[in-house]
Amino acid sequence: MANTHRSTSLGTALRYRGREGMWTWILHRVTGLGILLFLLIHVVDTALVIYWPGLYEHALNIYKSAFFRFAELAIVFSVLYHALNGLRIVVQDFWPGAMLRQRQLVWAVAVLVVLTILPVAWLMLRPVFGLGPEPGAARFEAASAGTETTVQAPAHAAAGVRL
Amino acid sequence: MSARGAARRGGGYDRPSPRGNFELWSWFFMRISGVLLMFLALYHLLWWNLIVGVHHLSADMVRERWTNPFWRLFNVALISFAMLHGLNGARYSIEDYVRSPGARTAVKTVVYTLVLASLAIGVYALLTFNPDIPRIR
Repeated sequence: MANTHRSTSLGTALRYRGREGMWTWILHRVTGLGILLFLLIHVVDTALVIYWPGLYEHALNIYKSAFFRFAELAIVFSVLYHALNGLRIVVQDFWPGAMLRQRQLVWAVAVLVVLTILPVAWLMLRPVFGLGPEPGAARFEAASAGTETTVQAPAHAAAGVRL
Repeated sequence: MSARGAARRGGGYDRPSPRGNFELWSWFFMRISGVLLMFLALYHLLWWNLIVGVHHLSADMVRERWTNPFWRLFNVALISFAMLHGLNGARYSIEDYVRSPGARTAVKTVVYTLVLASLAIGVYALLTFNPDIPRIR
């Protein structure tokens, strides 16, 4: 049945004990294809910004939903993993000595990804659970306060108030 | 059938035989673009997700950033390398999993069209952007 194309069934594939090499390879593919799918959507919606900003705001409202925050974290994880695992592949390709240590390098990538994604997940998810401010809130408020000052200053001046 | 053609048809299930040095250049491109994208894509994610914050985004904020040609060229580089890197990666997967020649051609046609159309729309928007363009709400 499934052997028409010399392919293996999913069960056989999962029983195959390729250890670290197999799992990093599978995850590299899945994250890569996932990033490409999001990229297609993201480039088109951002392109709307020049002619149809109103439509872009509509797309933004989806991105600002709590559900999408989890998707954004998944995208950040995918890019981070794909980048570091890809760097490992490049290093192993160009530096044969590293190939002999590939198993250690896999674990180094895993540790780096976990150590990086944990604080990022905390910063991105805590506003969803009401545990902290949105990322960039302080910067945004500082910018808005700056705008208010410049708007209010002429009002004071017009009223003859000396500051 | 030429000897080369016969040799090509020999194996059966492997990826299509390399055309010239295409697969070598493909391998090389994946590494060069991959290392560049580490900086371009990770900076992009850091900036919009953590420093600006998606919650504070608006069309005006993006338009303001795009008034600087540097950031538009940055984005042209980011989407060009990302799309071509992703397209070549998708090609690897298609050639691995879609075995019948007809289906392979069909899937490749759809994927290549979607990715290249999206890239074209993105580059067009970035290169023709002008803050004075009247808005169509």
